[in-house]
Amino acid sequence: MEHKFDIIIVGAGGGGLFAALEAVRTNPQVSIAVVSKLYPTRSHTSAAQGGVNAALANKDRDDTVELHVFDTVKGSDYLADQDAVDYLCSQAPEVVRELENLGAPFSRFPDGTIAQRPFGGTVKDRCCYCADKTGHTLLHTLFEQCLRRGVKFFNEYFLLSLEHADGECQGIVAMNMRTSAIEAFSAKIVILATGGHAKMYWNRSSNAAGNTGDGQAAALRAGIPLKDMEFIQFHPTGLRKSGLLVTEGARGEGGYLLNRHGERFMARYAPQKMELGPRDLVARSMETEILEGNALTSDAGSYLELDLRHLGAEAIKKKLPQIRELSMHFEGIDPIEEPIPVRPTAHYSMGGIDANMARTAVSGIYAVGECACVSVHGANRLGGNSLLDILVFGKRAGQEAALEAPRRPLRRVAPSALWKAADELKSYTSHERYERYGIIREEMGKTMADKVGIYRTEERLRQGVEEIRALRERFRHIRLFDTGTVYNTNLVQILELKNMLDLALCVAETALVRQESRGSHYREDFPRRDDEAWHRHSLCTLEKGGDVRLAHKPVTMGKYSLETRSY
Amino acid sequence: MERKEVAFRIYRYNPQVDRQPFYDNFKIAVERGITILRALNYIKEHLEPRLTFRAFCQAGICGSCAVRINGVSKLACTTQVWDELTGSGDDPILVEPLNNLPVIRDLVVDIDPVMEKLKQNYSWVRPAIAEGEMGQKEHCVSDGEFEAINAATDCILCGSCYSECSMTEVNPRYISPPVLLKAFRMNNDTRDTLGCERLGQVSGDNGLWDCAHCYKCAEHCVKHIPIVDGIHRLREEMFERHMTRSEGARHAQAFFDDIRSTGRLREATLPLRTLGVVKTLRMVPLAAKMGMKGRTPPFVVKPVPGIDRVRGIYRRLEANRAAKQGGE
Amino acid sequence: MKYAYFLSCINESMTKEVDLSLTRWVKDLGIELVNLEKGTCCGGSNLDYVSPDHFLVINGRNIALAEKMGLDLVTSCSTCLMTLRRAKQALDSSPEKRELVNGHLAGEGLRYNGTSDVKHLLWVLTEDYGLNRLAAKVTAPLWGVRFAPFYGCHILRPSSLLGRDNPTAPSSLDRLVEALGGSLVEYGSKNKCCGFHTLLVAEQQSLSMTGNALEDAVRAGADYIVTPCPLCHTALDAYQDKALDGRGVSRNIPVLHLSQMVGLALGYSKEELGIDRHMIAA
Repeated sequence: MEHKFDIIIVGAGGGGLFAALEAVRTNPQVSIAVVSKLYPTRSHTSAAQGGVNAALANKDRDDTVELHVFDTVKGSDYLADQDAVDYLCSQAPEVVRELENLGAPFSRFPDGTIAQRPFGGTVKDRCCYCADKTGHTLLHTLFEQCLRRGVKFFNEYFLLSLEHADGECQGIVAMNMRTSAIEAFSAKIVILATGGHAKMYWNRSSNAAGNTGDGQAAALRAGIPLKDMEFIQFHPTGLRKSGLLVTEGARGEGGYLLNRHGERFMARYAPQKMELGPRDLVARSMETEILEGNALTSDAGSYLELDLRHLGAEAIKKKLPQIRELSMHFEGIDPIEEPIPVRPTAHYSMGGIDANMARTAVSGIYAVGECACVSVHGANRLGGNSLLDILVFGKRAGQEAALEAPRRPLRRVAPSALWKAADELKSYTSHERYERYGIIREEMGKTMADKVGIYRTEERLRQGVEEIRALRERFRHIRLFDTGTVYNTNLVQILELKNMLDLALCVAETALVRQESRGSHYREDFPRRDDEAWHRHSLCTLEKGGDVRLAHKPVTMGKYSLETRSY
Repeated sequence: MERKEVAFRIYRYNPQVDRQPFYDNFKIAVERGITILRALNYIKEHLEPRLTFRAFCQAGICGSCAVRINGVSKLACTTQVWDELTGSGDDPILVEPLNNLPVIRDLVVDIDPVMEKLKQNYSWVRPAIAEGEMGQKEHCVSDGEFEAINAATDCILCGSCYSECSMTEVNPRYISPPVLLKAFRMNNDTRDTLGCERLGQVSGDNGLWDCAHCYKCAEHCVKHIPIVDGIHRLREEMFERHMTRSEGARHAQAFFDDIRSTGRLREATLPLRTLGVVKTLRMVPLAAKMGMKGRTPPFVVKPVPGIDRVRGIYRRLEANRAAKQGGE
Repeated sequence: MKYAYFLSCINESMTKEVDLSLTRWVKDLGIELVNLEKGTCCGGSNLDYVSPDHFLVINGRNIALAEKMGLDLVTSCSTCLMTLRRAKQALDSSPEKRELVNGHLAGEGLRYNGTSDVKHLLWVLTEDYGLNRLAAKVTAPLWGVRFAPFYGCHILRPSSLLGRDNPTAPSSLDRLVEALGGSLVEYGSKNKCCGFHTLLVAEQQSLSMTGNALEDAVRAGADYIVTPCPLCHTALDAYQDKALDGRGVSRNIPVLHLSQMVGLALGYSKEELGIDRHMIAA
């Protein structure tokens, strides 16, 4: 089966939906479809609690786009491309206002303007929010507007491959999850907006089960390089038992981090910003506390405490209702009464598909949001910049695609691409196969958490690379035990695991090679930033045999030159 | 840590293989503090890989994993196994797909009907700001203005209310609670300009007035949204906008009028006033049968003692309203 | 035990047997019900659509009449219960609304203070009177009679407003049946909607709801359905033939009011309790 559209958007989170919306608005004549493995409102954008940064200057009147750029560049440990950061921050006020104009219920200051609160790693209070359900409301607002504009959705379609010929986009191959039918979507332009890949840390990850980097893996296999894959952000405050996230907004509102002595230990690591230091620093400080025996212990492992009690019941109920609910559901504690048990959790993938202002190496293929590396987050993303990233670059990609589509011919997906995909899917059911999904996935999660975690060393990373290679080898024998074609979740899980394993190898290999510490990438054996040797992006591509080939690329500098990063 | 053997009885149906749905039983050791979703994951990974369900965020915000647990629609990821133990704790926990939606396989249902209804009922804000001026400035909105719709914006479209709805159960074309909730949320957003059209659309056939206010949607909303209050608010708005020609509105008006005239509902003429002559005639045979049992309501209703006081209240309230409208 | 008794419109007209049967036996229990003669229709759940202010004042007045008598207000109709309690909740949580209401009541010498509770007859029996005491009064135990208790909606939901029974597993009516010596059938429809409130605007759908509940009770082998709500009764009894039309259900099923079931157990005859008034013969 073949579908034909001018523009295909893969993924229906905030980035994909804004791309679709903007494409329709820019040029109603182009045909557009959104292909997503989830119903749109279930995308992981909904889990973003805290907010979105924009220099509206509603709170701090002297806030400016330049300050936002500076905070972002500094936060990135100078690995972000400054042209992209300039664009991100300069567009921020407009996209936030636009979402507000379209119905997002942003919380307000008493004067009726959009409220802003402090967030980690910024010099001004610039984070706009809808209580602690910002991502949820933005996602629903965008979905509603897409419904309004009649955007066509193919829900519960799984991306199998990205197709191009001679560096020109042909479209995608996807599987209809309800029927397991393999369908071609020929398109002049494909926008990838498939979200992040931090679920490769499995239980030590705040991510949804499906944040498996499907777009990144498809791009990798299609020969499009991935960039800065070694940079995985660990969020300081994951719930002890589940890894689920407690928003940075909880600290923004004044929450304390305490060790088992009841000490606000951040005073020793970031005396100025305290709990509101950048995420990598806070997460590492917490990990140090845990390693040095200052943590509390429980059956579910060591943890520290996030104390909100002094904020008072009213403030907690009004400003952090979801956090309260999460704590009650998943830890059985009420933050009004008790501190929340937390520890760092893998949270966000700064790396992704190498994209220059959303354009990839293949003409007609764009990548936006967490699946892309534009790069605006560099080695460490600031809280409140991820929603901003998907809005700004989702919109830009939609706009450019709508303008570009009429000028491009439609190149169709080759029938052989469908046969190839069908052969692969069938092969998983072979009786000669014996490896089990659950076992490989568990081992992958453990390897990534233990060997490619917050603190990294040459030795552990080498082990990590070897282990992931071995797991990829074992994956070649993985067996699909469910041979039905109706909503086969086992098949989807296997395909997701394949994607995670390929990307895990990229993360481990790039982490091993980068012999310095920068942002979220912390090497115990190379604790300093080494600008001389490593102020550059890492690139990976996949070789025929399945090995990862590494290369590098310079960082685009701008107004701000390299400085030591301290808070 | 407290641990226990827990039995699960799970609805199974794979249309490719099964002639009809059946129930599968599993017994697993569960620790206190484990959610139903984690139990389902365990069963899938260790006992029955073919068991099919949706799950994504595992944090109660995406809405994927809504199922019926012991007969009630809930999110599997936020429901504790321990809270679902019944009897002496040995009864199996019953897990079934959402109601009122076609089953695709096992616990997975087709959500498209919800999406279609959202699409048909203007489930979006149409702002007053011109397209070209988008993003230039913010609407000035007081925090209080959002208070009315704050709870409604928590909706995650999980489908629990759709599954619980009494009217949807007997009429799949009924607009359904989540769609009415969206309409409420939009119509009470001061930035929106579609109020009248939306209200006209949602109050049509199979619409707003068909809600039986059984309160099941609100009772079982996983986000504790008072959905019925939203539906009530939409009905109030119908009157505020003088959109009172529908049967439902005429029915409500009859209550209002009767309390003024006698203090009692005049049930004898209620069908006539709600439905008009033609439809009322169809009710005559049953009315005749009821008459033989002395069950027909009287045509003349004696006013309650002190009806003048009630009429006085009406007069003053009416005068207040007129004064308010005059002042605006 | 003394209560103000709310006169529900439907019990004044179509289901007169509710109050008829109730008056037979309340005195036997030493319960005194004082009719709220000046009370008016609660407006069902309709009045507030037309005017939320009227809804508050009219029902604030109804409750204030009971307050003036120094009594809690009891009703035999679930929708009256829910509606009155909804007004009470709104008034109890808002001084502004109380002020609005009291402004209108002053002329009549009434004042809403929030001192009277609003209860259903079922709650009076299960909580205030007590099932043990009631069981001791039974002279004609309902041995061998299988009841399908039908709660309906407005005595259960919203539970935040009503708060007695667990709406997914209600038990008060079940316990009453057992206290009277009757036995219970398990069936899935006990907390479902009878469809009454949409009888006029969506008749077919409403009858489907009614029919589902009836069919469920018949299949479970019940001899009677018993309900605490005259509106549910009307749907299940008066509309039973219509609702079961074409369903291939083997038999009709008689429907008792809660007050009639109690009366039977206390030794009154079907005629004395107005059971012969029903459309479906018992």
